[in-house]
Amino acid sequence: MTALVTTAIVVLLVVFVGFIAGRDKASRSNIEEWSVGGRNFGGLLIWFLIGADVYTAYTFLGLTGYGYSLGAAAFFAVPYVVLAYPIAYYILPRLWEYAARYKLTTLADYARERFQSRTLGVLVALTGIIFLIPYIDLQLSGITGVVAVAGKGSFANPKAVGTIALVISFILVALYTFFSGLRAPAWTSMIKDALVWIIMIIMVITVPFILFGSWGNMYHTAVTQFPKTLTLHPGPHGDFWFMTSALISALALFMWPHASTGALSSRNANNLRKNAVFLPFYNILLFFITFLGIVAYMVLPHLKTPGYSNVILLYLIQHTYHNGVVQGLMYATVALASLVPASIMVLAASNLFATNVLKDWLIPHMSDSARTLTARWFVFVMTFLALLFGVLFPTQLISLQLEGVSGMVQIIPAIGLSLFWRRLSNSAVTIGLIAGIAMVFLNHFVFKLAGYDGFWGLLVNIIVILLLNGLFRREAERNLQTNRLLNEG
Amino acid sequence: MRTLLLIIMLIGNILAVPFVNSIHPLVLGMPFFLFWLLIWMIITPLLTWWIYAMDQARE
Repeated sequence: MTALVTTAIVVLLVVFVGFIAGRDKASRSNIEEWSVGGRNFGGLLIWFLIGADVYTAYTFLGLTGYGYSLGAAAFFAVPYVVLAYPIAYYILPRLWEYAARYKLTTLADYARERFQSRTLGVLVALTGIIFLIPYIDLQLSGITGVVAVAGKGSFANPKAVGTIALVISFILVALYTFFSGLRAPAWTSMIKDALVWIIMIIMVITVPFILFGSWGNMYHTAVTQFPKTLTLHPGPHGDFWFMTSALISALALFMWPHASTGALSSRNANNLRKNAVFLPFYNILLFFITFLGIVAYMVLPHLKTPGYSNVILLYLIQHTYHNGVVQGLMYATVALASLVPASIMVLAASNLFATNVLKDWLIPHMSDSARTLTARWFVFVMTFLALLFGVLFPTQLISLQLEGVSGMVQIIPAIGLSLFWRRLSNSAVTIGLIAGIAMVFLNHFVFKLAGYDGFWGLLVNIIVILLLNGLFRREAERNLQTNRLLNEG
Repeated sequence: MRTLLLIIMLIGNILAVPFVNSIHPLVLGMPFFLFWLLIWMIITPLLTWWIYAMDQARE
């Protein structure tokens, strides 16, 4: 019970800070203020904001869960986050230049302007919105997990209490995003990241000592008694899967609407370059967090309860530390790691909907103030959709999220390649995008080729573009002549 | 040069995986595969830093 009370107090305090962050009315006065913080965030705030995308509840619970159930294959996350930054180094600053010059707030805005194609903009926006929903759900299911594990013994029915906590957290996230815009998650992410660092360093250092006596002994036990968990084995999660999933996830990371939102809120392009250089050092912790999943496999009973591996980190905390306050602080960290990123995600999806689906497609004459207000109200619709989705398909969430990465990466030719290849044509990219997403689902349900679905999708996507781009040469030339985005600067 | 550095990153982090997928030799008690991933986690940002420095010098 002490653990649960501590968790609740910490979480509510941080949510309060989120409301304070938006007490200035300017934070919701127009879409640029609300969705990308007026594009006025300095290097440090960007650091925390982008960091917030990497250190989410899904990272903690998901990676330790993978470590527990798949062993070494879970370490695909290491090359994944490491490689995402050199990629970002080449893409984000260029993108930021265009975005700042033409007041763009989403990647779909960029696609629309770059290709002078409303259809492509809408497609990119819909890709983002659809694949974000299961991701938001996964974030917030971290909270249900915390309540279910921490509340065991205190409540007659911890599952039901977990669902109530889930609904309350969805409402809190929606309210604070509605009021404060990006400033809420930006400021709360600083507290969250500070907690994440302290708690994770404490865990990484103390878990081996408490459970094994020393670091050396922990590795020794792993090598002698559980060698199978330390290398990749042929099969569905062999080395080909490892390589393709790391590469595809790295390419996809900054294609996520919430990650690009963080990047576009920067004050200048050089901040983004600097962050791409220094943020990866932040990821070293990720390696040890993943290893905690293997530790969990070594010390905890191997239960077959569904969803057990998804909250294995929480059981490891319970198994290792016996002080209620310590447990509570740790659970609170996981809960915050789900609330803060969820808020950025909901915000990004709402902005995509208001700007790129409603204004560009359905209601072209919408005024800016109407667009801002719609985006803010859409926060509630988006959270409701995510909640509905989570209640309807609770068991498919993880696999949907994995397909989400595969789907999301298909916009990289439209966003990344287009920055470097001036004669890339709209029709080729549009057909490639559709073919890529189709291939992801075909491979998942029909072909079942080895490796990551997104890899095969992107391969088809790029082959289609290379084959078709020649056919649309005239279209590309026309775009080159008439497009202000390609001719200035 | 910058392209070369990117290719090195790709080889170290991705393409080398099938060849380093083993427990032995242990380094600092760590299985070799995990140790490899860990050092590339440090080398890669250093290489990115190098690219950044070259870009800054050019400006």
